Amino acid sequence: MKQVKRMLRMHRIFVTQELKRMMEYKGDFIVGIIGFLLGQFFNLLFLWIIFSQIPNLMGWTLEQILFIYGFSLIPKGLDHLLFDNLWSIGHFTVRKGDFDKYLTRPINTLFHVMVEKLQIDAFGELIMGIALICISVPSVSIEWSVSKVLLTIAVIPFATMIYVGIKTATAAIAFWTKRSGNITYMFYMFNDFAKYPVTIYNNVVRNIITYIIPFAFTAFYPAKYILTGDNPLFNIGMTVLLSIIIMFIGVIVWNKGVKAYESVGS
Amino acid sequence: MISVNNLRKEFKKTIKEPGLIGSFKSLFHPKCEKVVAVNDISFEVPKGEILGFIGPNGAGKSTVIKMLTGILTPTSGTCTINGKNPSENRKSYVKEIGVVFGQRTQLWWDLPLRETYGVLKEIYEVPDDRYHKQMAFLNEVLELDSFITSPVRTLSLGQRMRADIAASLLHSPKVLFLDEPTIGLDVVVKDNIRKAIEHINKQEKTTVILTTHDLADIELLSKRIVMIDKGSNMFDGTISELKSKYGQIRELNFETDAKDIEQILNYKQHFGFNDDDIKIEKEANNVTVKFNSNAVPVSDMLSYTLDKINISDISVKDADIEEIIRRLYKQGV
Amino acid sequence: MIKKLRIYMPFVNAGMQETTTYRANWIFLMLGNVLGCFVSYFIWKAVFVSGTDSSLNGFTMPQMVVYIFLMFLTSTLISSGGTYDIGEEIRDGSISMRIIKPISYNATFLFQELGNKLLTICILIVPMVVGVEIVRTVISGTVQFEIQGFLLYILSCTFAYLINFFFNICFGFVAFIIKYLWGANMMKNCIVGFLSGTVIPLAFLPDILEKIFLFLPFASLNYTPVMIYMGKYSGISLLYYLGLQIFWVLFFWGLSKLLWYVSIKHLSIQGG
Repeated sequence: MKQVKRMLRMHRIFVTQELKRMMEYKGDFIVGIIGFLLGQFFNLLFLWIIFSQIPNLMGWTLEQILFIYGFSLIPKGLDHLLFDNLWSIGHFTVRKGDFDKYLTRPINTLFHVMVEKLQIDAFGELIMGIALICISVPSVSIEWSVSKVLLTIAVIPFATMIYVGIKTATAAIAFWTKRSGNITYMFYMFNDFAKYPVTIYNNVVRNIITYIIPFAFTAFYPAKYILTGDNPLFNIGMTVLLSIIIMFIGVIVWNKGVKAYESVGS
Repeated sequence: MISVNNLRKEFKKTIKEPGLIGSFKSLFHPKCEKVVAVNDISFEVPKGEILGFIGPNGAGKSTVIKMLTGILTPTSGTCTINGKNPSENRKSYVKEIGVVFGQRTQLWWDLPLRETYGVLKEIYEVPDDRYHKQMAFLNEVLELDSFITSPVRTLSLGQRMRADIAASLLHSPKVLFLDEPTIGLDVVVKDNIRKAIEHINKQEKTTVILTTHDLADIELLSKRIVMIDKGSNMFDGTISELKSKYGQIRELNFETDAKDIEQILNYKQHFGFNDDDIKIEKEANNVTVKFNSNAVPVSDMLSYTLDKINISDISVKDADIEEIIRRLYKQGV
Repeated sequence: MIKKLRIYMPFVNAGMQETTTYRANWIFLMLGNVLGCFVSYFIWKAVFVSGTDSSLNGFTMPQMVVYIFLMFLTSTLISSGGTYDIGEEIRDGSISMRIIKPISYNATFLFQELGNKLLTICILIVPMVVGVEIVRTVISGTVQFEIQGFLLYILSCTFAYLINFFFNICFGFVAFIIKYLWGANMMKNCIVGFLSGTVIPLAFLPDILEKIFLFLPFASLNYTPVMIYMGKYSGISLLYYLGLQIFWVLFFWGLSKLLWYVSIKHLSIQGG
């Protein structure tokens, strides 16, 4: 308990530092947020153009797709906002020898790395995600109930954890290879699949993004439950279960990686 | 206090072949090779000592330091500080040490300096009163006041180094590792930093392990040095021991208006010196002769020189430590 | 000429070494990008299944497949990382190492990147082109590959690369001057991605937008080479689009010279 309290306190302190840092570079951050918004905007334009050619996409209406898409941006944005520093481990921290710093400090390395940065341009994704959900909700006829609202809120941290776990595991590969940014990148490309209904994919892809790199649980399955109320045990329960398993794997790989780094250095 | 026993470290290294074909080969089939960075190093450091840890480039110094600071795990051998072993409990071990890598900074680059100390206070769980006391002390010794509110990226190299040293001492560590703390600094700043290190060592009884290429750091700060080369111990002892063991080089200085002194004096042939044992430098009328006093006694050199040419103002000096170490680095032991 | 080029050989070599040092990293980058292609592939498949027409804006499903994978190949061939490098080098001062050498600043970047690219080209181009050609042959029942079309594609890619290279250099200087390196880069990638047809073929856009976008330099990057390969441009239009590419190469080359001059001045005023 004391440990948790200390971690929360540390987290708050790091976040405050980051906010101060951002104030120093306001312009860059604003341009970054606009950049992300713009990126999302072009993706939506793409969807809109596609739907101008067809009545629905394999049974899914534009509004439903927008809802799923919008929902997918929430865990993605949260992961991006809070845990983005893991990227730099694979891209340059290990390669440039800057990881040494973390090892000479008396706090858990993974925790230290995770909370050190705040990636404010993630607000581009979060804003767009929330906007899309708000826009699409009136036209997708969701039956709301108390339990559904609670489950919806509860599933978001777990969905985020799927991202964090995968990023932790893949970033940790850099401890062996010096550089793993692109492995993380490759895994992250799978989350592009998750923005759309998995029913449009063939079996191979569907199984991969459901059971192996389960990005489908960061968006499609929870969103499907919200839209239809179907099978909460699978759509929500599996999200929770898989996210825990993945985070667990991530932590194990990380710890093994740090051990390996200690034996090789950079 | 610190005890280092038979430390050894091996690495694997990928070999690259030159050219386009080589690039292709290593793209798919990299070759590896074992490299021994640290072969067998042992030494002890008692509490409160400033130890100069030196050696030529590539001797394995930074690998040793990384093992001592818990960044690298030794292949074999141990290092302990107060009985604590970094590979057993890193977190409690690193609370006992402070580390400054002169080429890198642990300060938050974009924030005012003060913020860094605030964060480090939390990381090392320094209680408030202890923090204020320590900050006041560090402020006094390292004179941080004038730039503590400036963003770190705007600090000069000397200010940054002072700030980094303060950052490493915030949690009052028992051992301070300084890796090249005066690199790239001007003479005055170097002096200030040395004084500060000495002050901290005296006041806090902090044990200091100092790696440097600037031998003045060593001469002014440390009584004892450990020298390594090719991953093995080369010398361990005080500076005067180093001088008496390897300081057989003496310097003969004199003024003369004679020309062609090499021809006239011709020490090499007369005494049968080896190439390494004698060196003559001439600048205008000033002549410096460095020679091995084990090969030829000083008195013989003196009388022979006085005999051969007309001389004014002659003197004999012990070789300075720099000269000794230059010779040691060059030839190994 | 040969002698002049020899000076730059070490840079080509350095570029190659860079790629091989982190070979696994490079392979994963490529795999990640191929995955991106598959996302597009499945969406388009769903679109064609859901629609009633077998052809949308002049693209059949198999043509769309060819389009997606050619787009990937082209983007990889013409990619250029100058923006970030220049900003970083100016910031950390290592740019002065390039300035003091008696060789062209742009050329050192160019040749280093060529070294990087040489391996990419050797490894990617054959399987991609063979794959695309198999798809095309299966669809039409006859071999579609024409050496002439392929060579024109390569020519067009070369122009596209040069546009991209000089454009990125210009952008790097601008980003440096306005200081928003990271955010600006992010924004640029989004805009270029869309306007160059990577997200959706420009033919799908409303007529007026398509016309405007086709003239902009971004279409000259990815879209033109791919259209040439697919045989959508021929005769006069082929010449027109190649000419347009040359125009943009010259335009950005000139602009980069100008900005280089301005930045150096800016740099010396600021004192680095």
